[in-house]
Amino acid sequence: MIRVQDLHKEYIDGETHVRALRGVSLEIAKGEFISIAGPSGSGKTTLLNIIGCIDTADAGTVTIDDDTITGARKSDLVEIRRMKIGFVFQNFNLIPVLSAYENVAMTLSLLGLAESEIRERAMKMLAEVGLVGMEDRRPAKLSGGQQQRVAVARALVKDPLIVLADEPTANLDSETGESILKLMKSINERIGTTFVFSTHDQMVMEYADRLCRLHDGVIESDELRRSA
Amino acid sequence: MAGSSGAPHNTVPRHSGNHTHAHPKVFFRLAAKNLTRYRRRTTITASAIAFGVAVFIAMASLLGGMVAEGDRNFSNYETGSAAVTAAGYWDEREQFPLDMLVEDGAALTEALETEGFAAAPRVAFRGELIVHYDPYPEDGSAHLGMYGIDPARDPEVFNLAESVTEGRFLEQDEHGILISAWLAERLGAEVGYPVTITTRTRDGFHQIMDLDIVGIYETPNPTVDRSSIFMPLETAEYYLELAGAVTAVHLRLPEQVPGAADLAPVRSALESAGFLNAEELELLGFNEMTADFAAAVELQDAVFRVILFLLATIAVVGISNTMLMAVLEREREIGMMRALGVRDREIGVMFMFEAAGIGLLGGIIGMLFGTAAVWYLTQHGIDYSAMLEGIEMDLRFDGVLYGVWSLGTTVSAAVGAAVLAGVVALLPVRRILRRTITESLRTH
Repeated sequence: MIRVQDLHKEYIDGETHVRALRGVSLEIAKGEFISIAGPSGSGKTTLLNIIGCIDTADAGTVTIDDDTITGARKSDLVEIRRMKIGFVFQNFNLIPVLSAYENVAMTLSLLGLAESEIRERAMKMLAEVGLVGMEDRRPAKLSGGQQQRVAVARALVKDPLIVLADEPTANLDSETGESILKLMKSINERIGTTFVFSTHDQMVMEYADRLCRLHDGVIESDELRRSA
Repeated sequence: MAGSSGAPHNTVPRHSGNHTHAHPKVFFRLAAKNLTRYRRRTTITASAIAFGVAVFIAMASLLGGMVAEGDRNFSNYETGSAAVTAAGYWDEREQFPLDMLVEDGAALTEALETEGFAAAPRVAFRGELIVHYDPYPEDGSAHLGMYGIDPARDPEVFNLAESVTEGRFLEQDEHGILISAWLAERLGAEVGYPVTITTRTRDGFHQIMDLDIVGIYETPNPTVDRSSIFMPLETAEYYLELAGAVTAVHLRLPEQVPGAADLAPVRSALESAGFLNAEELELLGFNEMTADFAAAVELQDAVFRVILFLLATIAVVGISNTMLMAVLEREREIGMMRALGVRDREIGVMFMFEAAGIGLLGGIIGMLFGTAAVWYLTQHGIDYSAMLEGIEMDLRFDGVLYGVWSLGTTVSAAVGAAVLAGVVALLPVRRILRRTITESLRTH
């Protein structure tokens, strides 16, 4: 479903040229629950960003669902992000003036769906992540874990091919972080959504079915821990 | 799995040409919610816009009032709707020439009346009004414009007869004059007092007239009040030895400011009667006669535009600053929205809605305050009399300047504020959208 071939990415940080990715190749099948692990600066976020069509590679190709995204037009990348990719951010990144429901529903509104369908799917997804009764709360009235649940619901509600989660538990205490992981894992198992998340947290790695370790922009190991 | 390769794939994603479209109301709602996000900033910016809009509406009202008052005063006391003069006379009128005349004023007037037009002949000349101690408080004189008018016909075209506040209006062939209250006060004149006028006849000989003040008038036209006295046409004709000639025949048409089409029947009537054929006479419309005033209004208008520009600048700087702060503070949020698939154009639309909302809020508040100001200006006006005392102005309004209502200006000011704010918002948004999504997401 996702094929990454010989991906290279270099960026400039001040006066330093950082080679974030150096020939990364990777295939991710539908329904996988894969963790891209590695220390800070290993290139895991860069890899996720390129797969998520929010960054571009200097060389190499990425195909998602048979579409080559490297070199694609900006408008097509927007469409892929809108239709096929869900994001869960480390900082939750919810819109503070919108309620939990509205944050989730906005994703569906972008698809031009009818109000009734948006309501039905958003409410169902909020129930899925355990936020029944909190639909009308704004992010400021939710705990960090609840906010991340909203973010997970927002990522999943459009039924994407893949959910990319960049350090999804980094801003949560370990107990809350684990509950988010359990939530994502259960959704992965029940619905079959593909999850790719970056982390440097050992506890997070334990949940992954497949652990891909990056170091200095190179895949150091790619370990299948259990079958999806 | 690592490092594996596969079969050839599509090089262009399948979505090309088949993009999903979010309904604009999604961004409209979000913009509306964001308006409450920075209440203090929104309030300050909207207040600045409201101030600008209110001042604009009030100034437009005053300028409109000045133009309307000027038009009325010209039309009612100096020009009428149109006039027939000797060719080239109007440009020289301030020199009061008596060698550029309509030779048979009576015949011309009658020809126009026969065709159903209200017409009144006038003779304008310069003279010195002289008064002496007893009954006056002291000796004095003033160089003034003097007008011989037809007491029967003049009220058909001008409002002078209605402006007599003491004594009476002129009667045919009498040796009487009307002077303004402004002049009477300065001379210490009263109805019944004698005056002496020295002038020159058509042929340039000195002439002296001994006349009595029969009435005192007061018009809203300060130029007329400060510089004009009136006497019967026959009296002026006799002393100036005009032999039936007049300086102009003025007309009252249904339209205060007649266009070319409105003047066409008059022109046709004059041509039929043989008055315009020799090109010795010309028919002038209101706009041609008041070109100097129009130039003065244009100058005022230019000043008004400068002030409008300054007000718009305040609004632009205010809204631009507000939106710049908003987009900078929300850069990560913008990055997140772009990552979720919101198009740059849609983000621009959202911020445009947001800024337009602030502009509209300010515009509506400004419209309310501006409307209140216009109400005050139409009811009470602004009294410039102290400021205008002793100042010669080409603007035909009396000491008190009243505003006029203009629904179009009022509404367009509010709508304009919203549109301007929306457009201005694009500048800071474009700046943020030039950054990559990952750069925006890294912002703290």
